[in-house]
Amino acid sequence: MPPSRIPRREFVKTAVAIGGTAALSACLGREDPDLPRGDPSGYPRRQHAWNGALPTDDHGNDVPPRHHVVRLLDYRGEVPTDADRETVEAALRSLERAYPRSHETDGGRRVGLLSTVAYSPSYFERFDAPLDGVDLPAPEPLAPFEDPTPDDPDAAVHLASDYGSVVLAAEEALLGERETVNGVEVDADLSGVFAGADLAGDGRTRRTGFIGAGLPADHQDVEGVPDSEPVPEESPLYMGFESGFEGSQATEDRVTVDSGPFAGGTTQHLSQIRLNLQQWYEQDSREHRESVMFCPVHAEEGRIEGTGENLGAANRVADCADDVAADAAESGKVGHAQKVARAREDGRPRILRRDFDSTDDGRATVHFLSLQSDIGEFVATREAMNGTDVADSAAVGQRSNNGILQYISVERRGNYLVPPRDRRALPAPD
Amino acid sequence: MDRRQFLAAGGAAAAAGLAGCRSMFQTRSARSPPLVEDRPDAVYYPTHVEGMKMVGATEAGDYGVALTYSFPHRFWLVDGEETTKVAVRGEDSLHMMSVVWDRETGTVVPNSSIKTTVSADGEVVAEKPLWSMLSQNMGVHAGDNIALDGDGTYEVDLEIGPVSARRTGAVADRFDELTTASFTLAFRQSTLEDISFERLPDKQGEKGAVEGMEMGDVPVARAPDPDSLPGTAVGTAESGGARVVAVRLSTPPAGVGREDESENESAGESESESAGESESESAGESESGYLAVSPRTPYNQYPLAFTTVSATVTREGDEVFAGRLDPTFDPDLGYHYGGVADLASGDDLTLSVDLPPQLARHEGYETAFLSFEDVSMTV
Repeated sequence: MPPSRIPRREFVKTAVAIGGTAALSACLGREDPDLPRGDPSGYPRRQHAWNGALPTDDHGNDVPPRHHVVRLLDYRGEVPTDADRETVEAALRSLERAYPRSHETDGGRRVGLLSTVAYSPSYFERFDAPLDGVDLPAPEPLAPFEDPTPDDPDAAVHLASDYGSVVLAAEEALLGERETVNGVEVDADLSGVFAGADLAGDGRTRRTGFIGAGLPADHQDVEGVPDSEPVPEESPLYMGFESGFEGSQATEDRVTVDSGPFAGGTTQHLSQIRLNLQQWYEQDSREHRESVMFCPVHAEEGRIEGTGENLGAANRVADCADDVAADAAESGKVGHAQKVARAREDGRPRILRRDFDSTDDGRATVHFLSLQSDIGEFVATREAMNGTDVADSAAVGQRSNNGILQYISVERRGNYLVPPRDRRALPAPD
Repeated sequence: MDRRQFLAAGGAAAAAGLAGCRSMFQTRSARSPPLVEDRPDAVYYPTHVEGMKMVGATEAGDYGVALTYSFPHRFWLVDGEETTKVAVRGEDSLHMMSVVWDRETGTVVPNSSIKTTVSADGEVVAEKPLWSMLSQNMGVHAGDNIALDGDGTYEVDLEIGPVSARRTGAVADRFDELTTASFTLAFRQSTLEDISFERLPDKQGEKGAVEGMEMGDVPVARAPDPDSLPGTAVGTAESGGARVVAVRLSTPPAGVGREDESENESAGESESESAGESESESAGESESGYLAVSPRTPYNQYPLAFTTVSATVTREGDEVFAGRLDPTFDPDLGYHYGGVADLASGDDLTLSVDLPPQLARHEGYETAFLSFEDVSMTV
């Protein structure tokens, strides 16, 4: 492709989706970030403690990193050895020395590199001892109308940055394809310890994506988004609305495992969801989209402007969460956020979303990555989102008019444990 | 005017410079005559009747499943009491339609959870849920316009989710599994022109409806004749352009009253017989009777699903029942709205439609069933 004809931002995203050395060198030429080094000595014990490094918007919402890669890996050995643990830790430390978690620029704070390493139930099966203190079930279908393929790699490495080139370089360093990153020598890599996972149903072991204003609009030439290019330029996600409201996110404290050998860790759910937005954008009215994304009263009262940025730091669905049954009967539809708000405890959500959109396989995709203290917290939230309790009322079906269920198809699900940072390298289960 | 409107609207400007699209384009515009002016707020004869092509029929889980198509055409979505017209896009290749029915009884099942995935050589070409729709000649079906990638052979999977309505009687334990039916579609643009297309210049815009078409082994959804409904007739009335039939049963059909126990639970030991024959048997704990309300289209008697219906029963001035009726699918009562209520001779029954049928409409139905007056009957 001729880089000169592709807008810079679009090119970087395309490069992340493609990956590899050629993509990286082209990407570097365009972004050319001037990044300081990192200093891992002061990094938090929680791997998932990203919020402290994130920029915030005018309303106080945390702004997620714009570029993401998740690599799903299988451990090459049987029971992990201390030598392999040292290799994994050295590889991760190299990246942490090479890049700051974030840094200040003239345009505000930007994320250098954030990462987590997580382990699946099948990883822990190799040990004689059971996993202590954390319930980590194998993934299951979470709705009567879905039949996802379970992801069962041993490990999931999540890399995120505001710079596509950083994500790509970090990935290459982990794979043993680079000797230096950001001028720092790579001490070790993962290629001798891990291989790309062998996933059921030919699942992708490399999941890429993006979130943030402009990126979805620049990448709407995918199956699942109609050719009329309907995704608004300012939208951070394909569906056209904001989602990361501070009030819609669990705190990092809330999602942290608080006792046992994995205290300071969290659990991670990662699903692969395809979007089908032709009806959403070309048949449904704007009012209908507002109703089923938020709640019907938001649409009736015109509370949402554009992508909903005017809502500030909360989507304000707490008041309509009690109206789900009445809205189902009287307006024939219920809102996604409205339903999910029913899962809140003490007024706060139970999961911390770190999801992102994707062009993987040329299809409009969401990699829905969420963190919670226990997988059961995710299951409870998803059950609230299913709205099965109102799916027998008149016009609200299992999927139709039932939040955004009509427009999403969950293809794969995986569950993981994100250990605390000091146990992130091939942890024992106890 | 965007590209889609441009192609759909037609005109000499469009034909010039689009030689490759020309025959396709002419076919479409010729087959999309202007809507009748001053359409009545009632069921009316559309501008034309179109045929359909059968891709195939198969069985999947509890269902018989048929896949058919016609040429792309306009239809209307219903959101609350508003309709939104969906115009044909330039890239649309066909109007896909699916009918699902109970394998055992042949009754069409009102399922609003049908998704289609169309692929060619392993690549997904289109994936979307199909709208529950009402068509005068096709009856109740699931459909939408679909853009294919030209002539070729496509794999079409129809994923059928659980039925959302309460199920009673012989189907009380059925239709709650996810199942998939697969078809092979050999599509040629030219075959669209073989699909029949008949203008109705003398009838268009008049109140009335064309008859449902025979589709071979594929059943047509029809609400039971009022005379053949089980129980005792309460009355028949007209409202919102629909026919509303009410009956009372001395006991609820098997399966009513257990929905609070657990979702998607099997009915357990219930030897469910059909509702009509089980009146003398105990159905659950209740000693109470049952009110069933069956709104349907005039002329063709298609059931009007996805509606919110409430009932009030007064006896000598005292209210003895007031509440929403539950959407329920029963092989004998058909798709209806029912509630456990004791009705006695002389009671006054008032039926209200709180939300009109949230069914997408083919031409001729889009102005009907949107605004309902309350219906009063004396038991």
